[in-house]
Amino acid sequence: MADLTVKLGNLILKNPVMTASGTFGYGMEYHNFFDISRLGAVVVKGIRMEVSDGNPTPRVAEVTGGMINAIGLQGPGVDKFLHDEHYMPFLRKVGATTIVNIWGKSLEEYGEVAAAMDSESDGISALEINISCPNVKEGGAAFGTDIKLAQSVVAMVRKNTKLPIITKLSPNVTNIGDFACAAVDAGSDMVSLINTLGAMAIDIETRRPKIANVCGGLSGACVKPVAIKMVYDVAKRVKVPIIGMGGIMNAADAIEFLIAGASAIAVGTANFINPMATIEIIDGINEYLDRHNIKSVSEIINSVRL
Amino acid sequence: MKFGTILKNENFKSDYYEIVFYHPEIAAAARAGQFVHVQIDEISSRMLRRPFSIHDTDIEKGTVTVVYKVVGDGTKRLSGKKVGECCDLLSALGNSYSDVAPDEYPIIIDGGYGAAATYILAKNSPVKGSFLFGARGERDVILTEKYQALNWDVKIATNDGSVGHQGLVTDLIAKVIEENPGKKFKFFACGPHPMLIALTKILMQQNLDGEISLDHVMCCGIGACFACVVKVNADNEQKWRYARSCSEGPVFNVKEVYIGD
Ligand SMILES: Cc1cc2nc3c(=O)[nH]c(=O)nc-3n(C[C@H](O)[C@H](O)[C@H](O)COP(=O)(O)OP(=O)(O)OC[C@H]3O[C@@H](n4cnc5c(N)ncnc54)[C@H](O)[C@@H]3O)c2cc1C
Ligand SMILES: Cc1cc2nc3c(=O)[nH]c(=O)nc-3n(C[C@H](O)[C@H](O)[C@H](O)COP(=O)(O)O)c2cc1C
Ligand code: FES
Repeated sequence: MADLTVKLGNLILKNPVMTASGTFGYGMEYHNFFDISRLGAVVVKGIRMEVSDGNPTPRVAEVTGGMINAIGLQGPGVDKFLHDEHYMPFLRKVGATTIVNIWGKSLEEYGEVAAAMDSESDGISALEINISCPNVKEGGAAFGTDIKLAQSVVAMVRKNTKLPIITKLSPNVTNIGDFACAAVDAGSDMVSLINTLGAMAIDIETRRPKIANVCGGLSGACVKPVAIKMVYDVAKRVKVPIIGMGGIMNAADAIEFLIAGASAIAVGTANFINPMATIEIIDGINEYLDRHNIKSVSEIINSVRL
Repeated sequence: MKFGTILKNENFKSDYYEIVFYHPEIAAAARAGQFVHVQIDEISSRMLRRPFSIHDTDIEKGTVTVVYKVVGDGTKRLSGKKVGECCDLLSALGNSYSDVAPDEYPIIIDGGYGAAATYILAKNSPVKGSFLFGARGERDVILTEKYQALNWDVKIATNDGSVGHQGLVTDLIAKVIEENPGKKFKFFACGPHPMLIALTKILMQQNLDGEISLDHVMCCGIGACFACVVKVNADNEQKWRYARSCSEGPVFNVKEVYIGD
């Protein structure tokens, strides 16, 4: 049994396997399959101040090797998230290491959400700032693809919380490394990448887009090579820990991200097909390390041989 | 146990297949209206799961039956599976129809493969009711003989008039009500969205009770991704909210269904 603990700055995780925001609900659904406190961390679906309806349907379309989604960040709002038994109180009760993904429609709202989480931070291990959702007009992508706005969001959240901050980066930019550096300069303790890639699919019989929002974000196995390169690029630019994601379906994929430069990884679309994917990935990483006589997972992080 | 072994996978009419899995746990747990989420491709990175209503179960034999129509890549691949092969199954998912009470007269209204979803309900009902089935044409008239064999009153409507009444299945409701005076009607339905919304409007207008299975394109099937939402009435300004059809449904009482737009 290798040592799977990873240190992300001051945040220590029992293993490097987390869930990708929006693909794991608020944890409860998957707790029927396994004890979610076994995960490195549970990253919950994006939360803003108010209740949020999300986009019209259809919201998803399958494509070769992946899917396009435009869920549009449906969510219960801060108050319900912090106090309703299905959300934070549940995660606290089962002892899950919890990271809250936050977003807002304005700069001020990002600050308000961060402050609200900070004031009741019992059980919250970190905040992940979502400035990269391609599916909401206000907030989301608008902040994540403009370097100055991205920086001001991070600075605003920094001002309102003592919790560790992870900035989730959009791949829909010319140079993701520049955004990573900007986030770190503004006070981000870590970066996570990638969010979904802007994408579209059309039904040729009706000539209509396959999802109601017209465009959405691509995820799943098909995005992995793109995500690996971005993690590799960002690892060369920043010293802070990187959380890698995009198309991780099994332990081999997860290990590839660690080697490319990620200190932890997140599993998204794979949860939809195999609810046990995260647990199988933890076991698979351990087996790989044992097979290679490596004592600690930290030895393979950022270890690509050129 | 994750896997169900295929005991039978047969094309019984036009594009329709019946597949029987050996899976005693699901057979024992399944209730009318619930669904099974099937991993069709054994390599998980290649295809999302596909949801299918549980058509029938046999607790003693440990079997679960699904009736499906081949409409695209997933169902095509499923139709090529051989007896003895296995599929990873997630089930029994979703909520279920209420049991029919002895003082109720059940009326089932189905369209297309919706007929698969209500069979367990009819089989377990203490009262023989009416089964109204709608389809585009003869090619899509399925499972009516199974309801006949349960001694239910079967009525069929087709758009092209090739079988039964020419028109919509909802046209048949008035006749059934007329034939059964003084009874306490309870409607159960599954089928295409427009049919279910039309039915909901009729039942609400006439103050009749009913439950419909509103399925929508699904992804996780367990309530985690918010892909499969449908509009339900809510106590807020806009009067509706999005509910997850996989976990809060697929069965909704007609009083819950938002019919505003
Ligand atoms: C709760 C539930 C129960 C279902 N029960 C049955 C059943 O008992 N028998 C059966 O044959 N089918 C059932 N379906 C529909 C079935 O899941 C789809 O037909 C199937 O996923 C299509 O997969 P495919 O890869 O063959 O087609 P795709 O290539 O994915 O799609 C082909 C066509 O089918 C349409 N389609 C895809 N998913 C759905 C859906 N959920 N509802 C309506 N149309 C869809 C697409 O819009 C497209 O036009 C059910 C769906 C749900 C959500
Ligand atoms: C259905 C769905 C919903 C998502 N919702 C969110 C979200 O609320 N917040 C967020 O930061 N990312 C969201 N994402 C992006 C994922 O967290 C992840 O970055 C992306 O899907 C790539 O990983 P994957 O290929 O393993 O899915 C969502 C992705 C999917 C597929
Ligand atoms: S299919 Fe994921 S929430 Fe219903």
